[in-house]
Amino acid sequence: MQMIDAIRADAAKVLQEGRAKLVIGYRARGGHRGPVFLSDPAGAAALVYDDACKQNLAVYLRKPEVRARMPVAVVAPPAVMRSLVLLAAEAQLKGPEVVVLAVGDGVYHGVLDLAGVEALLKEKYAGLAPSPDLLRRIEELAAMTPEQRAAFWTAEFAKCTRCYACRAACPGCYCSRCIVEKNMPQWISTAAAEHGNYAWNVIRAFHLAGRCTLCGACEAACPQGIPLMLLNGMLAEDVARQFGAKPGYDREAKPVIGSWNPDDDQGFIR
Amino acid sequence: MMKVIDANKLSDLAAALAAKGYRVVAPVRDADAVRLKEWRPGQAIDTSAISINSAKEFFFPRTETIGRYALEGSEFKPEEVEPQAPRTVLLGVRPCDAAGLAVLDALFNWEYKDAFYNARRAATTVVALVCRTADEQCFCTSVGGAPDSVLGADAVLRSADGGARFILEPLSDKGKSLAADAGAALAEGKAAADPPAEVPVRFDSKAVTAWCGENFESPLWREVSLACLGCGACTHACITCHCFDIQDEGTRREAVRLRNWDTCGLALFTLHSAGHNPRPDQAARWRQRVMHKFRYFVERFGRLACTGCGRCGRLCPAALALSDVCREIEDASKAAAKK
Amino acid sequence: MVEAQSKTAGSTAGFQPRIVAFVCNWCTYAGADLAGTSRLPYAPNVRIVKLPCTGRIDPLFILKAFEGGADAVLVSGCHPGDCHYTSGNYHARRRWALFRRLLDFTGIDDRRLYFSWVSAAEGRKFADLINDVTEKVRAAGPFERANPARRRLCR
Repeated sequence: MQMIDAIRADAAKVLQEGRAKLVIGYRARGGHRGPVFLSDPAGAAALVYDDACKQNLAVYLRKPEVRARMPVAVVAPPAVMRSLVLLAAEAQLKGPEVVVLAVGDGVYHGVLDLAGVEALLKEKYAGLAPSPDLLRRIEELAAMTPEQRAAFWTAEFAKCTRCYACRAACPGCYCSRCIVEKNMPQWISTAAAEHGNYAWNVIRAFHLAGRCTLCGACEAACPQGIPLMLLNGMLAEDVARQFGAKPGYDREAKPVIGSWNPDDDQGFIR
Repeated sequence: MMKVIDANKLSDLAAALAAKGYRVVAPVRDADAVRLKEWRPGQAIDTSAISINSAKEFFFPRTETIGRYALEGSEFKPEEVEPQAPRTVLLGVRPCDAAGLAVLDALFNWEYKDAFYNARRAATTVVALVCRTADEQCFCTSVGGAPDSVLGADAVLRSADGGARFILEPLSDKGKSLAADAGAALAEGKAAADPPAEVPVRFDSKAVTAWCGENFESPLWREVSLACLGCGACTHACITCHCFDIQDEGTRREAVRLRNWDTCGLALFTLHSAGHNPRPDQAARWRQRVMHKFRYFVERFGRLACTGCGRCGRLCPAALALSDVCREIEDASKAAAKK
Repeated sequence: MVEAQSKTAGSTAGFQPRIVAFVCNWCTYAGADLAGTSRLPYAPNVRIVKLPCTGRIDPLFILKAFEGGADAVLVSGCHPGDCHYTSGNYHARRRWALFRRLLDFTGIDDRRLYFSWVSAAEGRKFADLINDVTEKVRAAGPFERANPARRRLCR
């Protein structure tokens, strides 16, 4: 049986058995992949799964229209599974609310609950890290002078129109009022100008520091092709190196920036 | 006799116009995409695909300073801000972008004549490029347009002789001046125009306009918008979307008033300071998007506020396309008619 | 006194760095105060912003300072273990450890961003710190042109 057939069969089954009221998976829209929301088992035939499926479907779990139909089943590759574990760790998701159709590395792992997802991630996907290509590009940037880096990012951020597709596509961005929407005072300029774009992109990356599961949905969502994963990848590597932490593997994990250790590095502090 | 130019010599045309003082904006390759940008000498002009950005930003920029205030001691001194409107040629925009200007012209001259938009509009010569190819997101023919439409254009470039050359056809006085300014970059000659792309009609826009007038409370809005993440990618990419936000930014010495692109896709767009939101969910926001383009604009200005460029569908992170939604509306309209 | 003044004023016709310092009330601010009451001369280039605790410092404050044209930012608070609110500085330390790397990666490097622990008793340390940071920033030059966070629409 092809992997996709097994996924479709399980999607229909979880609906039939009442384990989920809604299945969120991917469907083909021409050359694109978009989300599909199934409440009828017969609709499972529309499900697809391939490398073009870049969207992080965990993001729909913050929509009230979706939450109203929990429990929800989500087709999830490892990065999305990590997002679900992260949301659980941050008290945004409870075990009974979600069921996962777990895929990864060309393999379908079947229907799992959050505990099962956690176990699977630790067993088979513990080594997830930025791709060698991304690491190489981060190194290239790091080898430049600060002025060269400033020029690089100024040129990239100049493309930003402040559409916030990056934020909308990210499961970690679930604040009911984003910092950029606060205007008393207006901390981050909403103008698509140099200072506003720098502040927006840097602060968003920082608010995901220690939380980003490197799913790449933000970069895929950006209509202007800004290489956001360079920021997220650099920070994720630093979080792993400095604090030995990788978000999205442990529902009991303490938040990286919200917690501290007496032995945290302070070599940079005079 | 026509004005013709070899297809690979478009940058010579750009150079000739730049030498005559035009700021040249043209589609150029930018990493993996074609982008409408200020052309630099030596750059090749890429007409292979529609640009990912629309021509809107050259008339209605993403952010624009519309007021400036100096604070000297206790004195508040407003300063006039002149619109920045250099003489510009848009060399090779798609007909859907040129047609979108007709929508913006109507909006920015409705009751208030927008000096900033109008200055740029007056200073710009639009040279449209007839489409030889289209993709599955294009739907100009569903909204009263066509791949060879000349609406909004001062001149038009038509591919000819199997793509080997372009014919430049001036249409307006601005277009004729441009052709004259091009000088030797354009040759007198004859060429056989290539057929324009075929863009199948994807939905009946009149049915959409009619259905919108009767179905404000329809549950269809919730269904079609479920995938929507509530960002502004579609509105920012759209040639006709024109909503803006006024922001003041300042220090103790100086302040500016800015006009920035805004988007009805965000919940913030209609959030009241008291906390009430008249468009409380994405269904209501999607309803607004479709109604604005297919109903309200028709009622006010007699034209659709959509030219079928398809950028929204191409760029949406959730692969939601306005043309797909319109098709679903048309289907719903037909199903209701059968009952 | 004159000699001390000229030492702190630096080259007369040269660039005067504008440095914003975010400091905690209980330790570094008190330390700065002690430097003053002890008549320890230090460079006048620092503008001090007092917070109750370094834990209150949102990285946005640092960005806002650069946006407004600071040539450098200094952040300083109580030594670990001495925080008036017990653990505020531990939270801050973690934030700084990551935020400084993000800023460096995007063009604001450690010639522009400094962190320190200065206690209420360390008036001398504070004065020396300000003098040292000021000279380092003077040597780095004005940040105006290369500053990617700088607001240029209005100054």
